Amino acid sequence: MNASAITKTLWSLQAGDAVRVIGFDDSLPERYRVRLEEFGFHPGENVECLMTPGLGAPKLYRVSNTVFSLDDDIASCVLVQMAVSPGAAL
Amino acid sequence: MNKVLLVGSPNSGKSSLFNRLTGLSQKVANFPGITVDVTSGSLLALPDVELVDFPGTYSLQAISAEEEVAVEYFRRALADPEVRHVLCVVDATRLEKSLYFTLQVIRDAQHHGKLITVLANMADIIDRNNLTLDADALAAEIGAPVLMVSAKSGSGIESIIDRLRDALVREEVSGGRWSETPDALLRGTAHQLAHQHGPRGDVLIQSQTRLDRFFLSGFTGGVAFFGIMLLLFQSIFTWSAPVMDAVEALVGAVGSVVVPLIENTVIADFVADALFGGIGAFLVFVPQIFVLTFIIGLLEDSGYLARAALICHRPLRLFGMTGKSFIPMLSGVACAIPAIYAARSVDSQRQRLMTYLAIPLMPCSARLPVYALLIATFIPDETMFGGLLGWQGVAMFSIYFLGMLMGLIVTGITHRISRVVADDLPFVLELPPYRLPGLLPILRNAEKRCRHFVTKAGKVILSVTIVVWILGYFPNYGADLATSWLGTIGHFIEPVFEPIGLDWRYGVAIISSFLAREVFVGTLGTIFGIEDAEDNMAPLVDQIQASGLPIGSGVALLVFFAIALQCVSTLAILSRETRSWKIPLRMAAAYLVLAYMSALGVFYLVEWLV
Repeated sequence: MNASAITKTLWSLQAGDAVRVIGFDDSLPERYRVRLEEFGFHPGENVECLMTPGLGAPKLYRVSNTVFSLDDDIASCVLVQMAVSPGAAL
Repeated sequence: MNKVLLVGSPNSGKSSLFNRLTGLSQKVANFPGITVDVTSGSLLALPDVELVDFPGTYSLQAISAEEEVAVEYFRRALADPEVRHVLCVVDATRLEKSLYFTLQVIRDAQHHGKLITVLANMADIIDRNNLTLDADALAAEIGAPVLMVSAKSGSGIESIIDRLRDALVREEVSGGRWSETPDALLRGTAHQLAHQHGPRGDVLIQSQTRLDRFFLSGFTGGVAFFGIMLLLFQSIFTWSAPVMDAVEALVGAVGSVVVPLIENTVIADFVADALFGGIGAFLVFVPQIFVLTFIIGLLEDSGYLARAALICHRPLRLFGMTGKSFIPMLSGVACAIPAIYAARSVDSQRQRLMTYLAIPLMPCSARLPVYALLIATFIPDETMFGGLLGWQGVAMFSIYFLGMLMGLIVTGITHRISRVVADDLPFVLELPPYRLPGLLPILRNAEKRCRHFVTKAGKVILSVTIVVWILGYFPNYGADLATSWLGTIGHFIEPVFEPIGLDWRYGVAIISSFLAREVFVGTLGTIFGIEDAEDNMAPLVDQIQASGLPIGSGVALLVFFAIALQCVSTLAILSRETRSWKIPLRMAAAYLVLAYMSALGVFYLVEWLV
């Protein structure tokens, strides 16, 4: 089966979405990119959006065995790729 | 003296291990980055060895000024010939989080010829959940021994001591396989090793996520948050009150025994009012600080505080703060002093300063007697909507609301006019696992916080109390406050308060209230010749009403007290926490000007309306 992939940002994920980090937006300062990589958000790493908390709180993401909450200003700078089946709505 | 450095990533259990190894009471909490200062202590098993605990950090590549200080200090320590060994703590359940930092530490330690041991903490959780971590294989890969330990159960502590005994007699050897490796290569290697040797399976994440679904969902999370905050609030306000009363009564009782033994009247007055009054003024806060620190400790250690920070982050972000600012602000509604201590958990220096700015504007309990007096004096005791709402209650709510609103407005404006993006750390919060809090370390920490308050802030508070007492007592030996030096100052500054319709008596009461805001009521009582005005306000209310003070002045005073930072204890603690007097003094001056201008505006507005 041919799978296509769509590029999104971490912030656009819904709870339950599992993705792979493919890089970072150019607008993200270098020191924050490095810190995100230290947290485990490496290109090639699998990330799962665990939940979108109520009360407007930032979303929760799982990387390996650690859960992080990233606010939109930084989560929207992490580019991810989600594998989808052919014909799935984009 | 031989020294051993203890480093690790945030929330790896480093401070718990420090406490195990030294028997000291470094603050321990289940909240990333809780070690603020560098702490040291002798090892229990090797008393001639000093263990130095560094703040937790994710890497040696600092992204904030505070991290830079910590990293710089660590690198300087590595160059110290007295430093013989480095213990690097990793969370064995989440190896990938710590391994990059570990490799950086190994590299730098090797560069300085220091030996290093990696402590894989939380081995008890690994065992309990049937997870595995191949410590021997990992040790072979990284070139440093890896010991499985548990700070909680104490398992593996002996092996650390054995390792240190052996390592401390070895010679330093410069160089090593990582000593020249760049960060990028270390990062890739750490990632690979963590996947290869770290525990697999998601048992821990699953249980954590189940609880997060309860504590962070819209309805249950909101109810839990409200309930827990109510509990916190109750603990500060209600549960502390009997102990605070007891402390006050005890100080008063000791004073009543000691003072009659002194024959000299001046010395007796000094001991009664300045010494016992001053000591009582700061000792009374101790129960509140203890209870608040204890409850916050429970919330931190259980993992809930990180969730509360998450819930509050969005609204507070608008005002230049972070979700972690919420607990200090809430605590500030009871008392600014424990609230300022609580702000230590805010990791960005800039956001912590914003939190410090907001705290003094929270309507603390010391303002309550002042509000009660002024509202009883100027707001009619009448009801509306068939008795459902009373004007005095509305006034009390409004003045409380005004304080909180001003706190947000001030931080919001300061955030926007002083915005330096580089200073703001993005909100990335590691959510620690939920766990049962350990009571003993939390109790020890609460006791330590109280001792810090008494020994550090107490001196300043007592000194200022003595100065104000001298000003109020001389030159007429307490016979008449109006002709005392304090009264003279009151008359001198009368032109300042005249535009808002206040005479020298209110000026003196305002100056005295810098000791503690509630002193305003007692001082006015003394001036109007009423004893125990704090306990029975009715005669004082009558006197002020009879003196013909306009309603505009009363409302202006309310606004003044809602904004002005006239609390020497708060200033003393702020100076301790910021390690400078510049910040608290600037804040006090700015809030004084803001309070005065707001009071002036309100005075003219009310007088025009009435």
